[in-house]
Amino acid sequence: MKDLIGLKTSIGEKIESALNAQIKVEAHSSSIYLAMASWCDYQGYDFSSDFFLEQADEERAHMMKIFHYVKNRGGKAVSPEVVNVPQDFESFRSVFEQALEQEMHVTKQFNNLADLCFKEKDFVTFQFLQWFLEEQVEEEYTMRRAIELFDVIGEEGTGAWDIDKHIPKITFDRG
Amino acid sequence: MICELVKLEEVYRTKDGAVLQCNNKNCFWLEFAGNHTAFRVQDFLQFKKTVDQIDLEDMLIDSSRASDYTLLMPFRTQRCFLLDVTQLLALKEILQGAMFMLELNSLLKACLTDKPMVSHN
Repeated sequence: MKDLIGLKTSIGEKIESALNAQIKVEAHSSSIYLAMASWCDYQGYDFSSDFFLEQADEERAHMMKIFHYVKNRGGKAVSPEVVNVPQDFESFRSVFEQALEQEMHVTKQFNNLADLCFKEKDFVTFQFLQWFLEEQVEEEYTMRRAIELFDVIGEEGTGAWDIDKHIPKITFDRG
Repeated sequence: MICELVKLEEVYRTKDGAVLQCNNKNCFWLEFAGNHTAFRVQDFLQFKKTVDQIDLEDMLIDSSRASDYTLLMPFRTQRCFLLDVTQLLALKEILQGAMFMLELNSLLKACLTDKPMVSHN
């Protein structure tokens, strides 16, 4: 019998669904960072606001990278519905703590995806995921460094102002 | 879409219906609820996803009259299905069975076309 499914798409149903779920996670992350950027700007933390705007753009770029991959392999990329985006945050520090939690969640999702690729023997998609897995090391590092600034500098007096000024200076050395 | 019925290959059949494949037009035919409906490959995959996502438990628990039936209107077909839980169960079984057979066919094709590794030892 002619393999009609194989002629139409090169990715399996499970992998396609998992990648579409990841598209949604990236879109959600982008929206959360956008909300964080707005909150920081409203509180007067200009540099942090710019930092989160950049993060929001990055997450959207990640989303589009997966989106294009799904359609290029013959799958159906789904434009995600984004809901439950927090608009208010407890404190300056909690914004970064939530951002780190979000990145850890994203890393976990990519790990699960990589695991699924092994189970489904889809090594092409596994290869595609390598870039994201490496990227997550940088994402988590950046957020952890930002949180450490709160301990190193302290928020008392002009501390918060100083922390904000140092946020864009965080760099990641890939070695 | 018009296909010669004699040239259709049966993918999967239950007592309630079947999925057939047309190798000339590269499409699937769903034989269900007394009708034949043609689907393009991507539309068939999407239709299966839609059916899979229907929560039968939710339909059974919900006491409102509207939840007794589900309306399915697959794109690019001139058909709509108004199905109760029993019919949905039957449809799910047909589609899942067909999907399994199609995946099995892909696997078999891959195995048969894989060239054995040549050993020089």
